[in-house]
Amino acid sequence: MYKTRHAWFFLTVPLILLSVFTFIPAIAAFILSFTNYNVFQPIEFIGIQNYIDVLSDHSFRNALSNTVYFWILVTPALIIFPIFLAILVNQKLKGISVFRLIYYFPVLVSIVVTAILWRWMFAESGIFNYVLSLVGIDPIRWLTSTKTVMPAMAIVTVWQGLGYYMLFFLAALQGVPKELYEAADIDGANFVKKHVYITIPLIKPMIFFVAVISTMSAFKEFTLMLTMTSGGPLNASTTVVLLVFKEAFERVNMGYASAISFVLFVVILIITIINKKFLDTDYK
Amino acid sequence: MKQVKVILFNLILLAFSILTVVPFVWMLVSSFKPNSEIVKIGGSFLPDTFTIQNYINVQERFDFLRMFGNSLFVAVVVTGTVIYTSAIVGFALAKYTFKGREFIFGMILGTMMIPWAVTIIPRYDMIVNFGWLDSYIALILPSIFSGFGIFLLRQNIMTIPDDVIEAARMDGATEWYIFHRVILPMSRNAISSIAIFQFLWVWEDFLWPYLIINTQSKQLIAVGLKLFSGQYGTDYGGLFAATAISIIPVIIVYVTFQKRFIAGISGAAVKG
Repeated sequence: MYKTRHAWFFLTVPLILLSVFTFIPAIAAFILSFTNYNVFQPIEFIGIQNYIDVLSDHSFRNALSNTVYFWILVTPALIIFPIFLAILVNQKLKGISVFRLIYYFPVLVSIVVTAILWRWMFAESGIFNYVLSLVGIDPIRWLTSTKTVMPAMAIVTVWQGLGYYMLFFLAALQGVPKELYEAADIDGANFVKKHVYITIPLIKPMIFFVAVISTMSAFKEFTLMLTMTSGGPLNASTTVVLLVFKEAFERVNMGYASAISFVLFVVILIITIINKKFLDTDYK
Repeated sequence: MKQVKVILFNLILLAFSILTVVPFVWMLVSSFKPNSEIVKIGGSFLPDTFTIQNYINVQERFDFLRMFGNSLFVAVVVTGTVIYTSAIVGFALAKYTFKGREFIFGMILGTMMIPWAVTIIPRYDMIVNFGWLDSYIALILPSIFSGFGIFLLRQNIMTIPDDVIEAARMDGATEWYIFHRVILPMSRNAISSIAIFQFLWVWEDFLWPYLIINTQSKQLIAVGLKLFSGQYGTDYGGLFAATAISIIPVIIVYVTFQKRFIAGISGAAVKG
């Protein structure tokens, strides 16, 4: 119970500003989700009708299952590979800082450029199918088949996220005392054992952070699908937020779009709480 | 044995590099091609006709350097304040026990779960009511608190042992002093990550400045980049050239701050 007064001293001003620019707009959007707001008509309260519509909406269910599928493909990969990369670039080797920079490059490439580039690589006669043909596999219609479009999106996302999440783990690795590794070396632990038993437990708060952040961004992803496939083929790559985007800015159903968002919010909230239960340990 | 290990490491590192850097190099090389060559399917990797016309167009078609400067100003101000506010809130949430702590932390996480598509309209209305349209205050003030930054710093400060803080208190340090002289220096890796990402996000954010800023001379670079995909198709050469120039500051920020990681935390107070 260390001096509550101090905590509030640090928190007050930030929380007021956060309220004004984030909470209030969110509350306003929540209120809108109970209306038929569509810019053109006067606002009318319609109770929970939007929510009833969302839950029985076939395209919402399709979008939600696409999003969950995307999340399952992306989030574990964006924890495991970046930890591996971070451990690699944390070694004291010549020229390691060059690799640290190179792995970050995909983060810097804007979404428009990313889309152009990957459409070209996923093309029928593109580089992926060329590699597959070398091992005797028939060409895959990556972006035009309902089966492969989401895995294709996941590949692009993991490619772009590697360097990004690597950086968080790299930061966390600096906090692991070197003595622990030295002690493990004396005990004859190998590379894998050392990291499974020392590194992973010690960077757990950061694993929680990355799990939550990448879950949220997986559930909120839509620019990639919008630029690469517009949600097709047959809505197979339409995510929930892409649906929100289309409802809000193409069909101008603001009330309905808000309701979809809050259903999504509840889904993300539940996953985050589960995450927190398993991964968020307080260091006492 | 040691030698084999180093070679193995380098091979793995190299394999990953090819995956990550090739697309980037492709963009850079293409920025020296005329447009007709870029859109040609099955064209060669290196330019058949080498041209720097794309780079000249970038400055001539719109005042690129001016926008560059505007973006730099906004990005530096936002990044600096976000670092400070994230650290102070993260510290309070990580190291003080008080009623409502979990609730506040939950609310802050909650802000990250709502898609921007929903809050952007109420927020825009608010800025209009405040009379802040076409001003940088509308770009800066709503962005100086980041749920992401607070969350990251909280996670990081949690790993700082309580003993360090207790020891400082024993020596008679005030909480204010502890925050600035103990917590901030010990959080510099996390702070570096925030600096890198916050700068990148402000630099790349398109929609908000697009809605807020109307005067061409005040506009930011991310909005400028979109001018290349016009009504009559995309000027890929121009887009690639402008992208290549516009990522220079982001690379500089990245290189500067990730150097801190190499320095490690050897300077930090007590080991955990």
